[in-house]
Amino acid sequence: MKNMFRKALALLCVGSMSAALLAGCGESAEAPAPAEPAVEEPAAEEPAAEPEVEEPAAEEPAEEAAADEGSTPREETLYFAGQQWGSINDWNPMSPNSNNAMGQTQKDTARTLVWETLFMYNSMDGKLYGLLGKEYSWDAGQTKLTVKMNPDAHWSDGTPVTAEDVAYTYDTHVKYESSTGADYSTYIDSIKAVDDATVEIAAKLEGGKAVNPLKVVAYLTNIYVMPKAYLETVEERNGGDADKVKQDTMEDLVASGPYMPYLDNDQKVILIRDDNYWGQAASMWGKLPVPKYIAHTIYKDNAAGQVALQQGEVDVCQQFITDIQKMWLEEDLPISTWYDEAPYGMTAVMPSMFFNCEKPGLDQKEVRKAIAMATDFEQIIASAMSGQSQTFDDLPRCIAGPSEADRAYIDFDALKDLQWKNADIEGANKLLDDAGIVDTDNDGIREYNGTKLSFKAECPTGWTDWNASMEIVAAAGKEIGIDISTYFPEANSFYDDMTTCNFDICMWSCPGAGPMSPYSKAMFYFSEEYAKLASNWSGNFGHYMNDDAEKILEQIPLETDENKLKEYYTELSKIWLDEVPSCALMYRPEQFFAVNETVWTNFPAADAGNNIPPLMCTDGYGIAALYELELAE
Amino acid sequence: MKNTIKQVFHSGKFLVGFFIFILILIICFVYPLVVTHDPLEMVGSGNFYKPGTYVSQQEAVLDPFYTLNIDASEGKLSLLLGEEEIEKMKEYLVKYAEVAESEIDTSDPEAMVELWQERYDPELKAKGLTSAKRKSYRRLDGEIKDAQKSADLIIAEKDSETGELEEVKKIKGTSFVNTKDILNKRTFLLGTDNFGRDVLTELVAATVVSLRIGLVAGIIATVIGLLLGLLAGYVGGLVDNIILFLTNLFTVIPSFIILILISYSVGTSARGVMMVAVIIGLTSWPWTTRAVRSQVISLRNRDHVNLSKLSGHSLARIIFTDILPYIASYVVMAMILQISSGILAEAQLSMIGLGPATTRTATLGLMMNWAMQYAAHLNGSWWAYFPVVIVIALISFSLNLMNTGLDQVFNPQLRD
Repeated sequence: MKNMFRKALALLCVGSMSAALLAGCGESAEAPAPAEPAVEEPAAEEPAAEPEVEEPAAEEPAEEAAADEGSTPREETLYFAGQQWGSINDWNPMSPNSNNAMGQTQKDTARTLVWETLFMYNSMDGKLYGLLGKEYSWDAGQTKLTVKMNPDAHWSDGTPVTAEDVAYTYDTHVKYESSTGADYSTYIDSIKAVDDATVEIAAKLEGGKAVNPLKVVAYLTNIYVMPKAYLETVEERNGGDADKVKQDTMEDLVASGPYMPYLDNDQKVILIRDDNYWGQAASMWGKLPVPKYIAHTIYKDNAAGQVALQQGEVDVCQQFITDIQKMWLEEDLPISTWYDEAPYGMTAVMPSMFFNCEKPGLDQKEVRKAIAMATDFEQIIASAMSGQSQTFDDLPRCIAGPSEADRAYIDFDALKDLQWKNADIEGANKLLDDAGIVDTDNDGIREYNGTKLSFKAECPTGWTDWNASMEIVAAAGKEIGIDISTYFPEANSFYDDMTTCNFDICMWSCPGAGPMSPYSKAMFYFSEEYAKLASNWSGNFGHYMNDDAEKILEQIPLETDENKLKEYYTELSKIWLDEVPSCALMYRPEQFFAVNETVWTNFPAADAGNNIPPLMCTDGYGIAALYELELAE
Repeated sequence: MKNTIKQVFHSGKFLVGFFIFILILIICFVYPLVVTHDPLEMVGSGNFYKPGTYVSQQEAVLDPFYTLNIDASEGKLSLLLGEEEIEKMKEYLVKYAEVAESEIDTSDPEAMVELWQERYDPELKAKGLTSAKRKSYRRLDGEIKDAQKSADLIIAEKDSETGELEEVKKIKGTSFVNTKDILNKRTFLLGTDNFGRDVLTELVAATVVSLRIGLVAGIIATVIGLLLGLLAGYVGGLVDNIILFLTNLFTVIPSFIILILISYSVGTSARGVMMVAVIIGLTSWPWTTRAVRSQVISLRNRDHVNLSKLSGHSLARIIFTDILPYIASYVVMAMILQISSGILAEAQLSMIGLGPATTRTATLGLMMNWAMQYAAHLNGSWWAYFPVVIVIALISFSLNLMNTGLDQVFNPQLRD
């Protein structure tokens, strides 16, 4: 019925457009019709599973695969969408500009399909689970971290993973000044192999104490281990030249993960299971991951990925989808999300707007706060975010994330007076009036020191929910006499603006759940160190300088008393809410997670009760999901 | 003059186009007088609310009731159980609850429901019972349970001090409310868009803006094209060569590309409605110039022009009194087409995010842009984009019809 209606609509649409065009054909050769959304009836892009007998082992696949453009049996392939948007450039974990989303993503919940980390972070319970490492322990003064390796672990070429590999990986990062090396060498003094199975990580000390023990632990979950022998080959073939080593594509990689590269081009990326994967040892998973292939078709845009998900061509989709509940409520598709009800996903991050605190006008906290007060956050959450977020009534603002573990660090009663009402235009106007920031020339826009309050709110074009959020912020500006216009440049020019503090208002997401949370978020919002970086990807983009906050940031990593920590985080939240150097706009899952159960089933779900987080079946402890999958029929 | 107008209005094509266009204009002027809401007001708190009248739930509950002899709770079950639902229940019973297919009588919904309640197990985990299916069965079960509730609903108020619930009202299955009694309501004939804005109100405002953009762009393009065409055609020589060179340059480079480049470099903050109109106007004059030029060339050696020349009339006078009137009808037709393509150009620009700012005005292209970004075409929210397409189509259709109508009247070769 519904389909009929759609078809009729499409037909009518085309009919009326062509009628209009025909009538005008005589003179105007131009005037093409506007792109027609109604008739989009995309055909199945990918041939689903030719029933051929499955491809043999991994030895000779490369050429063969190229011949049939990598069609893999559907029942052995897990398809992804929403991660990879172009053909990949390398497999090198030291690369400064890798775009290889499936192959390598080093963060708190690292993607361990190909390369593996020592430990996996599980955002469900906040614990670390062993991978290449088996256990870790601090010495008494938190200066040395000892990691026991899993003796079963071996590389894809069969040689064992040893402590020496861990040490050499770190040394290589430092030697060639990769971003990892530059970042961690501030906190880690050295990584040494005590014996084959024991690694000792010495923290950098300051006055007898580690600079930041949290960051040392983060190394375990964030950074891949690479084999020494292979790294030496890479160094040799590049003559030890730092830039060349970092840009080596590493297509012949030797890694330890369950999957290896199989095929990649501008259409798709496919990984194939390594059937000798060490993880089938009883000490790790005890079996191989279920799908033989991991495939990611490279879609043109979100809409294409969404259609593929609806048609069952994609199994796991990391995309923002408007009104996703309609897919099962109205269209009755076998699609589900982490929760069955709003907010549908497990929220973990807070996309936030940063004010440039060096810009005249925005250097006044009243102006920043007024914009934040006037903004209709509920509208952002309900419409821009399509209801896929908790509201700030459910979870009041603070510097910690939406997870319970994070929020245990905050005393919300102490913050009560600093929270503001949603879309409080009156309050915002009063705040500005009281601060003497008024409209002196009656053009409807306030002036500060004679300059008009006129700002650009910026985020990358095509990031739909962010674009709409910025529009709603701009609409709030109109109500309080601050001219805010939106500006959506291409992602790359946005990155330039953001990382060099060349913006008025910009938007970026705080770090998600991880071993360092909520400290990582506190750093993200306040760190003066970040602000001083020449190219700052880490946080505090608006260069907000507050020595009180900086002092607290220095103390937190060294503090182990939970009550004291709570005090610190509450104090930081107070500063954050009072000074508003930045402001959370919504909560958002670390990764959107929609699954289609046409082919595969038994995906992680809130009610599954198996402690596996909804991280795309690939990230951190979320990769455990790959071992639980089953064929649907 | 009067005669020509009469003639024009005898052309059927022109009349139809004119009628559609005037109708759109009238709606654009009358609608805002009736509905005075701000077209950009984000009234709905969510994406794409369906078309319909939304009445205050609280008021509906508290308003006086009328008792009709229709028991709403009774019919619910048969309303709920369509073919699809029955099929779904059957599938579950056969596949997962081990009921023999012969035991199931799909023509008797009540027996089905009974069997369902007896055998449905929400906790069941079986092979093939994916979590999406489990959830969908659970929803169906919930709906069946809801539909079977025949007891009266009780509305209670919470005592602000003791926190106890106090009964305010009982609602029977036979209670009905007259929607006219409800004061708090809002009708969205075309639903709401992704920001929760009323699509119809926005559409009317956007049509006005788009027409304005079209008009300004059309006038600018026509004026430039006309002046350059007249000069090139009449003066000829070096002037002609220079103008023709320029025109060719602009014709060769697709004007839409120039349009995109200029719009992009201007930046969002400066891109108001008028700015967009001017940009469109400045990029779409070349073909008017070429057409006018060739017309003028064929005119310039006519006797009356030569006579004027001999009488020593100035260049301006010759052009405006001896040449312009002969091509006036053509210019009017060209302008109509320019207006129409100006509207389309705006829609295209806004569709790729290079139109005016969203928070300041509504335009047809912006509406399409946001509807597409929020995948209205993928999740069945036709009201967010389809009416826009229709309006754009109608405007250009009517303008083009008027143009062909005029053409028939003025072009002797086409006259029947």
